[in-house]
Amino acid sequence: MSAVAQAPQRAATDAADSPARTAPAGAWLRERGMGATVLVAGISTAFGVLLLSASGFISAWVGNDPYLGGGETLTLVLGILSVLLVGVAVYVAAIVTANTFSTIIAGRTRQIALMRLIGASARSQRRRVAQQGLAVGLIGAGLGLVLGTVAAAGLLLWANSALTIDVSYDVVQPVLLVPAVVVALTTWCGAWAGSRRVLTVTPLEAIAGSTPRTLDEVAGSRGRNAAALILFIIGGVLLALGVLAGLLNPLGVVIAFFGGILSFTGLTLGAVRIMPPILRLTGRLFGRSATARLAAENALRYPERSSRMAIGVVMGVTLVVMFAVANESVKVVLTRSAGGEPPAEMSQIMDTFAAIMMGLVAVSAVIAAVGLVNLLTIGVVQRRRELGLLRALGLTSAQVRRVILLEATHVTITALLTGLLLGVAYGWVAAQSLLGSVQVPPAWASPTLVAPAIPWGPVTVVVIATAVLTLIAAVVPTRLATRVTAVEALAE
Amino acid sequence: MYAGATRGRRGGGRTVRSVEGMEITTTEMGLAARVQNLSKSYGAGESGVRALDGVTVGIRRGEFTAIMGPSGSGKSTLMHIMAGLDAPTGGRVWIGETEITGLSDLEMTILRRRRVGFVFQAFNLVPTLDVLGNITLPFDLDGRTPSALERARIDGLIDTLGLRSRVRHRPHELSGGQQQRVAIARALATAPDLVFADEPTGNLDSRSSREVLALLAAASREHGQSIAMVTHDPVAASHADRVLYLGDGRIVADKPRQSAEQVSAFMLAAEVAA
Repeated sequence: MSAVAQAPQRAATDAADSPARTAPAGAWLRERGMGATVLVAGISTAFGVLLLSASGFISAWVGNDPYLGGGETLTLVLGILSVLLVGVAVYVAAIVTANTFSTIIAGRTRQIALMRLIGASARSQRRRVAQQGLAVGLIGAGLGLVLGTVAAAGLLLWANSALTIDVSYDVVQPVLLVPAVVVALTTWCGAWAGSRRVLTVTPLEAIAGSTPRTLDEVAGSRGRNAAALILFIIGGVLLALGVLAGLLNPLGVVIAFFGGILSFTGLTLGAVRIMPPILRLTGRLFGRSATARLAAENALRYPERSSRMAIGVVMGVTLVVMFAVANESVKVVLTRSAGGEPPAEMSQIMDTFAAIMMGLVAVSAVIAAVGLVNLLTIGVVQRRRELGLLRALGLTSAQVRRVILLEATHVTITALLTGLLLGVAYGWVAAQSLLGSVQVPPAWASPTLVAPAIPWGPVTVVVIATAVLTLIAAVVPTRLATRVTAVEALAE
Repeated sequence: MYAGATRGRRGGGRTVRSVEGMEITTTEMGLAARVQNLSKSYGAGESGVRALDGVTVGIRRGEFTAIMGPSGSGKSTLMHIMAGLDAPTGGRVWIGETEITGLSDLEMTILRRRRVGFVFQAFNLVPTLDVLGNITLPFDLDGRTPSALERARIDGLIDTLGLRSRVRHRPHELSGGQQQRVAIARALATAPDLVFADEPTGNLDSRSSREVLALLAAASREHGQSIAMVTHDPVAASHADRVLYLGDGRIVADKPRQSAEQVSAFMLAAEVAA
């Protein structure tokens, strides 16, 4: 960052932002949302570091053990799994960051307009935001790297003593820098992607009396929507092909795997198109009371933000449910093929594997949750005047609380239902494409049709976790919102 | 309502109110709201600011009252306290029959919802609700649908204020003047004891300003709506039946209908004397 060139500009911006915040450099770090971005970058880096360390440790353990053998294949499989899992986490983190930054920008409109008025170019303003993204990403990645490495060292010590083995594995490895660098870079990209709106801010918006734009255009370029649709269709076709091929050969699951990745990428890319109607549908569930209507409209006020936020939670829920359903469905088929007796040992191993995978993909859900909390909080901060008006007109503090809670519920319920549906579908496709060719009694004829088996335990856990997430997400924004008094807010 | 209950609870305080009729009521005075010996300070000690200093005044029922004064005269503070938005440091406040000093936040909120209407300078409307949703917001917040009588009233207001073709529009699709008319419709919809207008023309061009002021004046003249308007614009004040002048936290004059020239002259004289 060219600190010298930036200094006067930054000082001016900070002064415009708030007279109380006169710290010359780094004041923007205290802006709401930056902390969450650091947290998100930290979690994904630490997650990457832990996964790499764990798979390295397991490979070292298996490679050293003359009885286990097959170390190389295992290393490869673990490596691929780690990359996929960290990839999902980083992807969700990038979505959260982009969202956070676009929300921060919306709140900074006046300040950016003032800079434009004084003569700053839109592009330099956007570059500044992206630089802040890089700085925050570096801080988060650094923290995540240190904490993740320390945690990994602790865990490996514990594993050695708990498993009564003695694997010498050096925790501090250069490869651990990879997740840190990737996360810092994606945070940078996320900030860049989220700062697109900077370009549309006009100098006129700095002048008093201009009412803030309250409704984002449902953006999403035509190209992106087309790409989303194409990916979704190709993915869907591959999923169907995978199921059909699976009736003859277990390798159908490979086709289905790529179908799953493509179709889900399509869904994510087209989230801005897909989620709002679903969000609107959920809004109807809340009834027609004033609080319900305010909450429902708030959740849809920035369709792009809400959609991206919901899709993060959808990803987490889908992945967890997918593993649970696939695992359960496979067990059902294996049980049937074994003549009704569940193969106990096999079942045990599969449950453990599924549980570990569910735990690992749940990290993405946690990252999405941070983003949700952040979205709701900034949403309240940016709505102070509106809340003040509503308080003046007779919205009680209890009603304020209800609006915020309903707003959180709106996003989480939508994400939960969508995720459950997708998870069951993907899980079933996985099981069907893998085991469609297994012959089961009494006819001993394939193809076998597998009914999607839903394990109620994990699903209940997911539902409860979502409910808890909703409550937690509402705490901070509720506290901020109930503190707003009409007189103060209207004087702003 | 809870008016009686709160009076009882607070009865042991400053005045003995156990015997009805010992004090004449706000309504008997022909007032929609009144304050007695009202004071409001911000901060304490040397650095403290006294925004209101022993103000006693009533807003007459059915009248359009303007509260004039330069910036920092305490006019906004007076309005906020009268409207139950802020609590006084000392003194008492009544809206209609209800003494509101000492009411809890919840009681105050419900009272505002049912018995006070608001028109602010800007940012009057909830951006996510359409025009009709904004007008019926006080009813929705109260968890009830307007009665047939109230619906007729709202319909009448929508027509009078020329909003018929706009009921399904969102605030950002309306001009400043139209937004202000929606705010007036909302403020009048519940037929409140009192409508408070805080610089309602502050953000408008002169044509929209005249329109808004004429609408407020008509509401009080034709429907007996009590209105208190805070303003520092002499033209706006000239539409009112009565003009109260504030200076340094006190009422400095209380005059019947004034022309804009008279209001200006008075303000200028006060400014020069200060």
